[in-house]
Amino acid sequence: MDPQLLNSLPEEDKTKMVAMIETMQTRDSLRMYNNLVEKCFSECVNSFRRKSLEKDEERCVSKCCEKFLKHSARVSVRFAELNAQTMEQPPPAA
Amino acid sequence: MTDQGGGGGQNNMQTMTPEQREQAFAMANQEMEYRVDLFNKLVHSCYEKCIDKRFKDGDLNVGETACVDRCSSKYWQSVGIVGQLLGANQQQQQQP
Repeated sequence: MDPQLLNSLPEEDKTKMVAMIETMQTRDSLRMYNNLVEKCFSECVNSFRRKSLEKDEERCVSKCCEKFLKHSARVSVRFAELNAQTMEQPPPAA
Repeated sequence: MTDQGGGGGQNNMQTMTPEQREQAFAMANQEMEYRVDLFNKLVHSCYEKCIDKRFKDGDLNVGETACVDRCSSKYWQSVGIVGQLLGANQQQQQQP
């Protein structure tokens, strides 16, 4: 959402938009959390000899999370760049 | 369909009727949902295509970072192409 556009709205509309954005962000964070657990679990945990995680499974899950979060951060930077690029291009002639 | 650049109808929130404002909010909401979904799918696709699943290390190596950058760019291009084709298709369908 373009910050300039958001700030140009009247106060009550801005509040409403901000609330909408926050709800969306919370929901997306929770979704990502569940997603990430499922992803790393399915990649890393494949034996069930014991009730608790083996040392290497634990390490695998940690590294998997780290890697995914770094990947996600990198993609979000590129996403913002590509978005900005697309905004700058003049719209195609009608 | 004419494109009213810049201000258009969007910044005149005060002059809209309540129904129009509700509609504008609904559209903004939809647009945001779409963007969030787009982003999530982009992350997922490029993760599957680029990231080594052996997890030797917590960091992305040089090959992976390059792959991720290019993957994002290509995905974005695909978004553009599909958008254009869907738009053209819709226009065709609307013509008698």
